[in-house]
Amino acid sequence: MNESLPITCAGETTGSGSLVRAIVAEAAALLAGLAETGETGRIDLAGLPLTEADKAALEELLGAGEVVAEIAVVGRSTVAETGHAGVWWVRHYGSDDRIAAEVLEITRIPEILLSHPADIAAAARRLGDTLGTASAGATDAIKEDRPDAGP
Amino acid sequence: MTTVAFLDFVRGPLFQIAVAIFFAGLFIRFVEILVLGRKTDFSEPRQSGTGAGFKTVFSRSVPEAGTFKRSAFTIIAGYVFHIGLFVALVFLAPHIALVRDTTGLSWPNLPTPVVDFATVAAIGALVAILVNRMRDKVLRFLTGFEDYVAWTATFLPLLTGYMAFHHLLLRYELMLALHILSVELLLVVFPFTKLMHTFTLFLSRWYTGSAFGRKGVQS
Amino acid sequence: MPAHETLGEMLAARGISRRAFLKYTSWLATLMALPPGMAPAMAEELAKAKRQSVIWLSFQECTGCTESITRSFSPTLEDLIFNFISLDYHHTLQAASGEAAEHAREAAMAENKGKYVVVVDGSVPVKDGGIYSTIAGISNLQMLEETVADSLAVIAVGTCAAYGGIPHANPNPTGAVAISELVKGKPVINIPGCPPIPEAMTGTIAYLLSFGKLPDLDTLGRPLAFFGESIHDRCYRRPFYERGLFAKDFDDEGARSGWCLFEVGCKGPITYNACATLKWNGGVSFPIQSGHGCLGCSEPDFWDKGGFYRPLSTPLRDITPTAAVAAGIGAAAGLAAGALHRAIKKDAAKNHHTVTVDNLEKSS
Repeated sequence: MNESLPITCAGETTGSGSLVRAIVAEAAALLAGLAETGETGRIDLAGLPLTEADKAALEELLGAGEVVAEIAVVGRSTVAETGHAGVWWVRHYGSDDRIAAEVLEITRIPEILLSHPADIAAAARRLGDTLGTASAGATDAIKEDRPDAGP
Repeated sequence: MTTVAFLDFVRGPLFQIAVAIFFAGLFIRFVEILVLGRKTDFSEPRQSGTGAGFKTVFSRSVPEAGTFKRSAFTIIAGYVFHIGLFVALVFLAPHIALVRDTTGLSWPNLPTPVVDFATVAAIGALVAILVNRMRDKVLRFLTGFEDYVAWTATFLPLLTGYMAFHHLLLRYELMLALHILSVELLLVVFPFTKLMHTFTLFLSRWYTGSAFGRKGVQS
Repeated sequence: MPAHETLGEMLAARGISRRAFLKYTSWLATLMALPPGMAPAMAEELAKAKRQSVIWLSFQECTGCTESITRSFSPTLEDLIFNFISLDYHHTLQAASGEAAEHAREAAMAENKGKYVVVVDGSVPVKDGGIYSTIAGISNLQMLEETVADSLAVIAVGTCAAYGGIPHANPNPTGAVAISELVKGKPVINIPGCPPIPEAMTGTIAYLLSFGKLPDLDTLGRPLAFFGESIHDRCYRRPFYERGLFAKDFDDEGARSGWCLFEVGCKGPITYNACATLKWNGGVSFPIQSGHGCLGCSEPDFWDKGGFYRPLSTPLRDITPTAAVAAGIGAAAGLAAGALHRAIKKDAAKNHHTVTVDNLEKSS
């Protein structure tokens, strides 16, 4: 950009600490609910007017936890437990590695990490098929090992 | 009709009609007043009345001590309203943009909070003046239909303008359309009601001042 | 693919897990501001849905809308939608041409009678029997009527289809009209914009698939999830409007400081669209962020609003000629009225008889 035309953009600087506190308060309430009744909750971060500074502040407040997972499905997704057990930070990336959805999940484990029953059933079938092919292959190998047994 | 079409209608043909009636009415009344003129004063003037006339145009804006004491409320509320209206009309950025678009002239706008304060003060003063008028038996007796029309035509643009700028109550495009419509109503009734005093005031003050000046008395 | 196959089975066959659906619906929930808790249930519904047959009709248009919806750079989340729909006819994108292309449309219509969705971009010329735009010898008007008859719903994509757009602009030589004016008895969703935001198009289609119903629409037939708020409502320059700081020119201090563009003609306050939040080109920017006012492209008749660079507070057309003519007529009328009244006064003075005390005594 031409230095003589310093075009500045407003908005990025108007961070709001109160919004971060409101999110943390909501997360705390949901977490208390999870501890008592087991009910899960979600807070959609992308729908809120959070600035980069707000997000950094929120991340610092929640801290880093023990689990970090990366999912490769139609692009990239990351799931990380925050420093507070049961509060998960889920990010879904779209094209150009841009964040398409960002959700705080208050749960024992985010659903996206779980294998879906339909996928499990399909995998079971596939594994069975693989086993069939594998044993056939093994038989061939054994045959090759014993050249005298061939026709 | 959709809201957007309504907005286009009030910004388009209806505005042209209102402007035409306003200017035609303004000139009919002004020219007629000037053509009718006054009887020639054949007495020998003690001094020229011209200067005194111009002086009076301004000096009469300051109320006399006695008058002020008798009707302090009317005078204060009147001042608050007129100054508030002037500030809102002349120093709000979208209004300046309108003048610039039409005539090429422009001047700096005031910050929105200042214009807001002036607008709310003007609205408050107008309401207070109306309440006072309704409560006072004599004033109520003296108030005719035309006075209520003039009050309403002035009040609506202020109220709708404030609500439009701050996106209150209705969607902006509808409130803006209502604001422009209320201004058009004001433009149409303006030349044919007491609202005409906005311009004739200067004429009559000058005339009184100059007549007094000729006689060599203070006005 | 077999017609009975669900989307879940179809993706599984391609080695894509159900997580894709959950990821997609999480994105959709964010996009459409749905309650975030709905994403898992929506994912289940979507996986159970069948592939949706879509017939895309392009009439008086510039193909910008198609460009917009296909603008993705790598096979990712955003274009997963193309796996959920079966684009059975789209004369720009399909490989077939001529009669074969038309047969594809007819076959899709017969096969999915009452179940296919018609997407239309472009307006339809109706003047002179609709002769101004034809495809394979069939007028747009005729093709629309024929195709819509057995459809489930119609999605008018782009401002031309939604409100007539540029072909409809004054003087509208071809008599172009909006799709909603021609389609009766079928639900019509408008997704205006020039072009529309790709997410607004794909999001609406995905919503139809997962919920099996239309999203909530505003009075102009637009999904509220994308068109519920004005550009001005969500504009990052809004604080400058509130403070009364406006750029007066594209080259002044205000413009360089990123102030509000109201005075240089921004139509943001009367324009409902998601540009200020979803933005363009993968969230890079949107017109106001690039220093240009909003043109109001998702609103009816945006082309005929008196000019892109004239503020909203100005009249649509110049008022000075009207004012000048009116003033002239007024002055002439004032002269006449003045002269008339003077004459009456003079007449009255002439006919005036002086009354003396004697006269009064005589008469009494």
